[in-house]
Amino acid sequence: MDAKVKKQKKHQQKHSGPKAEKKKAKKQEGSIEEDERKRNPKAFSVQSAVRMAKTFHRAQDIKAKKHHIPVVDRTPLEPPPVVIVVVGPPKVGKSTLIRCLIKNFTRQKLGDICGPVTIVSGKKRRLTFMECNNDINTMIDLAKVADLVLMLIDASFGFEMETFEFLNICQVHGFPRIMGVLTHLDSFKNNKSLRKTKKTLKHRFWTEVYQGAKLFYLSGMVYGEYQTQEVKNLGRFISVMKFRPLVWQTSHPYLLVDRMEDLTDPEQVRTDPKCDRTVSLYGYLRGAHLKNKSQVHIPGVGDFQVGDVGFLSDPCPLPDAQKKRALNEKERLLYAPMGGVGGLVYDKDAVYIDLPASHVNQLQEEARPTTELVQSLIDAHSTLDTKMAASKVSLFTGSATLDPSHISQHTREKEILEEQSVWDPTTNRERRKVIFTQEEEDVSEEDDSEGSDQADDEGDVECEETATGGAPPQKKQKLEAERGRTGSCAELPVFADSEDELEMSEEEEEAGTSGDSGHSSEEEEDEESEDELTNDGEEELGKQHSERESEEDQEEGALRWKEGLQQKAAEAFLRQQEAAPNLRKLVYGSVVEVTESEEEEEELGGLFRVSRPQKSKKLQANALDCSRFHADTGHDWDVQEVLDSIRDCFVTGKWEEGQDAATLLKQDEEMYGDFEDLETGEVHVSQPQDTQDDDDDGDEEPQVKMDDEEVQKNKRLEKKRRLKERFNSEYDDGDATYFDDLKEELQKQAELNRATFGDMDDESRVQYEGFRPGMYIRMEIGSLPCEFVTNFDARYPIILGGLGSSEGNLGYLQMRLKKHRWYERILKTKDPLIFSLGWRRFQTIPLFHMEDHNGRHRLLKYTPQHMHCGASIWGPITPQGSGFLAVQSVTGTKASFRIAATGVILDLDKSVTIVKKLKLIGYPFKIFKNTCFVKGMFNTVLEVAKFEGASVRTVSGIRGQIKKALSSPAGAFRATFEDRLLMSDIVFLRSWYPVSVPQLYNPVTSLLLPAGQKDSWSGMRTLGQLKHDLGIRNKPNPDSLYKPVVRAPRRFNPLHIPKELQKALPFKSKPKQQQPKGKTPRDLQRPSVIREPHERKVAALLHALSTVHNYKRKNAHKVQHAKHKEFLQQKEKDEEAKLKRQREAKKKLYRVMGQKDQKKQRSSLKGASSDL
Amino acid sequence: MASHGLTYDGCNFFRQRLVLSTLSGKHVKIKNIRSRDDEPGLRDFEASFIRLLDKVTNGSRIEINQTGTVLFYQPGLLYGGPVEHDCNPQRSVGYYLEALLMLAPFMKTPLKATLKGVTNDPTDPTVDLLKSTALPLMKKFGIDGEAFEIKVVKRGMAPGGGGEVVFTCPVRKTIKPVQLTEPGKIKRIRGVAYSVRVSPQMGNRIVESARSVLNQFLPDIYIYTDHMKGTNSGKSPGFGLTLVAETLNGCFLSAEMSSTPQGQGDPVLPEDLGRNCAKLLLEEVYRGGCVDSSNQSLALLLMTLGQQDVSKVLLGPLSPYTIEFLRHIRDFFQIMFKIEVQTPLDDERKGGDKVLMTCVGVGYSNINKTVK
Repeated sequence: MDAKVKKQKKHQQKHSGPKAEKKKAKKQEGSIEEDERKRNPKAFSVQSAVRMAKTFHRAQDIKAKKHHIPVVDRTPLEPPPVVIVVVGPPKVGKSTLIRCLIKNFTRQKLGDICGPVTIVSGKKRRLTFMECNNDINTMIDLAKVADLVLMLIDASFGFEMETFEFLNICQVHGFPRIMGVLTHLDSFKNNKSLRKTKKTLKHRFWTEVYQGAKLFYLSGMVYGEYQTQEVKNLGRFISVMKFRPLVWQTSHPYLLVDRMEDLTDPEQVRTDPKCDRTVSLYGYLRGAHLKNKSQVHIPGVGDFQVGDVGFLSDPCPLPDAQKKRALNEKERLLYAPMGGVGGLVYDKDAVYIDLPASHVNQLQEEARPTTELVQSLIDAHSTLDTKMAASKVSLFTGSATLDPSHISQHTREKEILEEQSVWDPTTNRERRKVIFTQEEEDVSEEDDSEGSDQADDEGDVECEETATGGAPPQKKQKLEAERGRTGSCAELPVFADSEDELEMSEEEEEAGTSGDSGHSSEEEEDEESEDELTNDGEEELGKQHSERESEEDQEEGALRWKEGLQQKAAEAFLRQQEAAPNLRKLVYGSVVEVTESEEEEEELGGLFRVSRPQKSKKLQANALDCSRFHADTGHDWDVQEVLDSIRDCFVTGKWEEGQDAATLLKQDEEMYGDFEDLETGEVHVSQPQDTQDDDDDGDEEPQVKMDDEEVQKNKRLEKKRRLKERFNSEYDDGDATYFDDLKEELQKQAELNRATFGDMDDESRVQYEGFRPGMYIRMEIGSLPCEFVTNFDARYPIILGGLGSSEGNLGYLQMRLKKHRWYERILKTKDPLIFSLGWRRFQTIPLFHMEDHNGRHRLLKYTPQHMHCGASIWGPITPQGSGFLAVQSVTGTKASFRIAATGVILDLDKSVTIVKKLKLIGYPFKIFKNTCFVKGMFNTVLEVAKFEGASVRTVSGIRGQIKKALSSPAGAFRATFEDRLLMSDIVFLRSWYPVSVPQLYNPVTSLLLPAGQKDSWSGMRTLGQLKHDLGIRNKPNPDSLYKPVVRAPRRFNPLHIPKELQKALPFKSKPKQQQPKGKTPRDLQRPSVIREPHERKVAALLHALSTVHNYKRKNAHKVQHAKHKEFLQQKEKDEEAKLKRQREAKKKLYRVMGQKDQKKQRSSLKGASSDL
Repeated sequence: MASHGLTYDGCNFFRQRLVLSTLSGKHVKIKNIRSRDDEPGLRDFEASFIRLLDKVTNGSRIEINQTGTVLFYQPGLLYGGPVEHDCNPQRSVGYYLEALLMLAPFMKTPLKATLKGVTNDPTDPTVDLLKSTALPLMKKFGIDGEAFEIKVVKRGMAPGGGGEVVFTCPVRKTIKPVQLTEPGKIKRIRGVAYSVRVSPQMGNRIVESARSVLNQFLPDIYIYTDHMKGTNSGKSPGFGLTLVAETLNGCFLSAEMSSTPQGQGDPVLPEDLGRNCAKLLLEEVYRGGCVDSSNQSLALLLMTLGQQDVSKVLLGPLSPYTIEFLRHIRDFFQIMFKIEVQTPLDDERKGGDKVLMTCVGVGYSNINKTVK
């Protein structure tokens, strides 16, 4: 019935007729805006300026919202491999997916995914796959280094907590690209439920990541692998994906370590298995430039000083030739040393060496360097020392071989012999002449020094080099190992004298500390030991050499404030500067200072020493600290030539070709020369400049015609370029916004960054800009705890996160924090919490606080439920704006959501100001009018004096002020109040007490735990946990316990109104006899009357009579009533009859009157007609 | 956990070390401060400088041994805000101000420093010089704003002092990279000839003689005479001249000269002083570059503390102070500059060799500034 009613008539579209034709015409034309404007101008006119401004603003806002802040693109030309982290709950297919993807890209099968796997995926892209297990430590670490996250979701089960946890970790630490992958789709038998699941999962995923985030479906397995086509598609997606740079990642250098070697002396390990280890870690450098000797943090281990950094040849290089479309088989490289590809297999407690036979041939080729290393290790039958002793090197073919025993001597000799002091008459100074600079000898010398190095440094690389020499790739590697010493030989062959090398090596050796005025004490020691080593004859030379150097040093560094030294030194310095062949050497390298060795000093009587005030070094070290550059040399500014030498520095001097006013004018004329005078109609044509120029040239040099043409051509090109520039600036700048300008500026900076050091070789480039991202780096770190090596597990990522300046220090951090809405409980102040901040994971004790309106930070006991609050911790200095997350514990996996809070760093400081409210309570003991003596609040007069003038209050709300201390009870004081106090009042003083943040910084050292227990790190327990574990229960304060409420009935006094007042009141307001009349008092009771018998008879008779009378009267009344009723009826009837009669009479009368009227009318009508 | 520190010998380049230590967060230990001297240990002005550092930082730890020959400095965070400091009159305010210029942009709150002491003396760059060269230089690095100035409230000559300088500087989170490779030609020369507690005619006599030298090159010369009287004139008499040459590209080269302090050395004639100062300016022009010789280290520091981008700046010959500063930068920030010498062509008459300094910034960001 209802359905019938609701059904309405459908709209019938017209197919013919004028309406349909109109519509058709409209459709054909299409709605053109112009037309609409013309047709309906009113709709497009400005109705309201305000509204228009608003809409315009809105449009602009929407436009601007789409912009990201442009950043300088600092990605290097050869970027590091993209880190792809594969995450998901257990048994979801992570390893299978990685295996399939690797097979897809490299055609190789990898058994066990262990550690990062780097592959070449295309001509310009390499990928590093890393599997993330479900330890929250691993998840946190990998989220910080990931470029792309493949988030595997078991569709047959749905989302699991791990997925959401990982998403939240990502959100906090910058959001890498995230791609969801649904697996286990083959478990759905019903197609409809499959589609439904896909849709719900997709939408949930979108709300977490962003609307329209890519979710990939892997439909099912074929022989234990995903379908080839689907994997291929996924691979395509990955290899074209673009990444937005993340702030933290781009501002810090970091390594995802893919190879680890223990360099500790085995003997030391044998004697003391718990000794600190020296470890070299390898990996691609990512993020920012890495400086040598900087600090790194290894999440899960701690902070370390980098011992040495070096770059190696890329183990997994991009293909060179770019012509082909696809990679050939040889270029599809795979590098996973931790996973066993590349010769080494890491196990829990051992490193296995894979022999070539167990691998495919091709695979061996790719991983040649490392395998060779291993091979050489295997082949080595004799120890290094014996080899060293046996090895002989010849410098020239056919020359005598060198013995290691000679080497040290030889090198020392050379260092001294190589340079010779030569007096240069032209510049009036001593010059160090280079005796020989031959490439070959340099190389051979490298070998020598390397050999001597090996004794103390048993690096694998070196040993490999000695074992197998000669092959080109090794040579390359060797060169890199020698980087420190030979730095300049490749870069600046002119200065590649051995002295330079010596200096360079010393520079390398300089470890962090530097000596007086920037010269390291180590250098001095070296020099000293060197002197001692050399034999007598050489010592002489050495002394000369060093003295001369000291002199030179004095020249460089001395300031000219004392006249004695000044003149000569200053002159020498300036000259040196002007003719400086290599300023770099002057500034950074060559400054070697002689030690002021005690032996040199003359002794007088064995006790006293001759003090030498003119010692240059001391003078310099304690010289006047002044930034002025005094110029009391050289130029006499009265001489005309000298004056002329700076003539062009002024606008009045000669200008450059391109900027000279005359030429500019000429160019202008060329460009705008043709013009027509509109008034006179005269046409001015610019002079053809070319002919004139040609004439000039012809006059000068007729023979160089060819050159001339070229010059002309260049000129034309230049002219064209300038014209184009002008055009561009005129037409493009019109709609260029601030955003565009900014973008362009940054683009320019990026180009400059690439171009500046682009043409240098890596050796020298590294010195200037540090190691650039994309390089394969070997980092040596000393004093790592032994557990790092013994408990090594390749499945857990090792990350070397570089720290910026002062990020290694500790301080107070103030942050904005919010309890995560999915975390079940609120957090308690002073309960230890594990933070993930920057690279670090650490446990610390936060204090929560709120900022009051006056900027006071007030301590909170607990975090608010759904609100941000402040938190202060003691922890590592991390730049403001970095996000962090906090968890209560990292142990095991729990069903509930583990991330307790998230937030952002706001402020760093070395002190904090958090206060909590403190109320001091006192009791009045003497009350005058408004003055009152209060005791019990303070203990001494001094304390009172501190609070004089402070405002106090009573619980009842009376405000007052502390006036002065009283003498008699100690700590009592006089206070005045705005009203009189009662003795029962309690006086309190509200004050603020500063709270200190506990200085606990406890890094989570999860990587040091034994394998298999790495997720069981537990730090400081919370108070609640402690109590629970120890079975302690707090005894509650009996006052705080709830008791049954007993209420005494209330009694009120009656209202008493004075009599006078009562009198004056109006009756209404007068108090009434409100209470009921109780028993009348005996004195007021009247006695009862007892009748006489006669009287009783009379009374009885009267009573009977009256009863009869009453009865009679009642009856009479009844009768009367009936009579009256009858009468009324009768009267009504009469009345009715009378009315009827009257009505009829009236009717009759009206009829008669009507007839009469009619008659009259009729007669008048007749009369009228008769008139007519 | 604590980052490794650095150790130095001797009190030279004292300010550099402390300033760089403060900026980099590395602690520093300076040993053997005048240990062989008759009066060993820190001088009063150095102690005063340390006190100033303590005022602008929060949480610094300073330890000095009994004789004052060993100093340990653990830097805190730069705090800023209003700071008042009585500078020791052994050195002029410029000594303190140079360090403050380096630190001021990286404070938590904008710095407003009132420094009292000697404003002008012959040893250190005077306040006028820093005002006219260091501030425009810093503006090129993106440090500007209306509250960025040095104001000479009272002038005090050595040795008495009694001057007062107010330096205010806004706070920046990051420093822009610069490309100052083209100094441009000098378009005008400005200067201040100041005199206190001497005849006001001194100023005019200085101006006259300085103009006589400089007019050979440029007509656009204007030298202000600044004669301060009464309470604004400090405690000692003296006079001096500061000359600044401005180029078309907005680079400033400067020279200055002050009269010898009363009772120390021979008195100088104002004419000689003017002429010599003008010659000093010519010398400075001869050295050239985009930054004048006393501000080289400031420019290099700001380049170092820039973003991870390439900065270039063209300098004249490096002063010994700058060379040492470069070494210190390497110690504290592991930054090396690429140093290229640009020798002018034969036919060019543009003074001596120039040095092109190139570096990649460390990506320093002001960790003291509060985010709201």
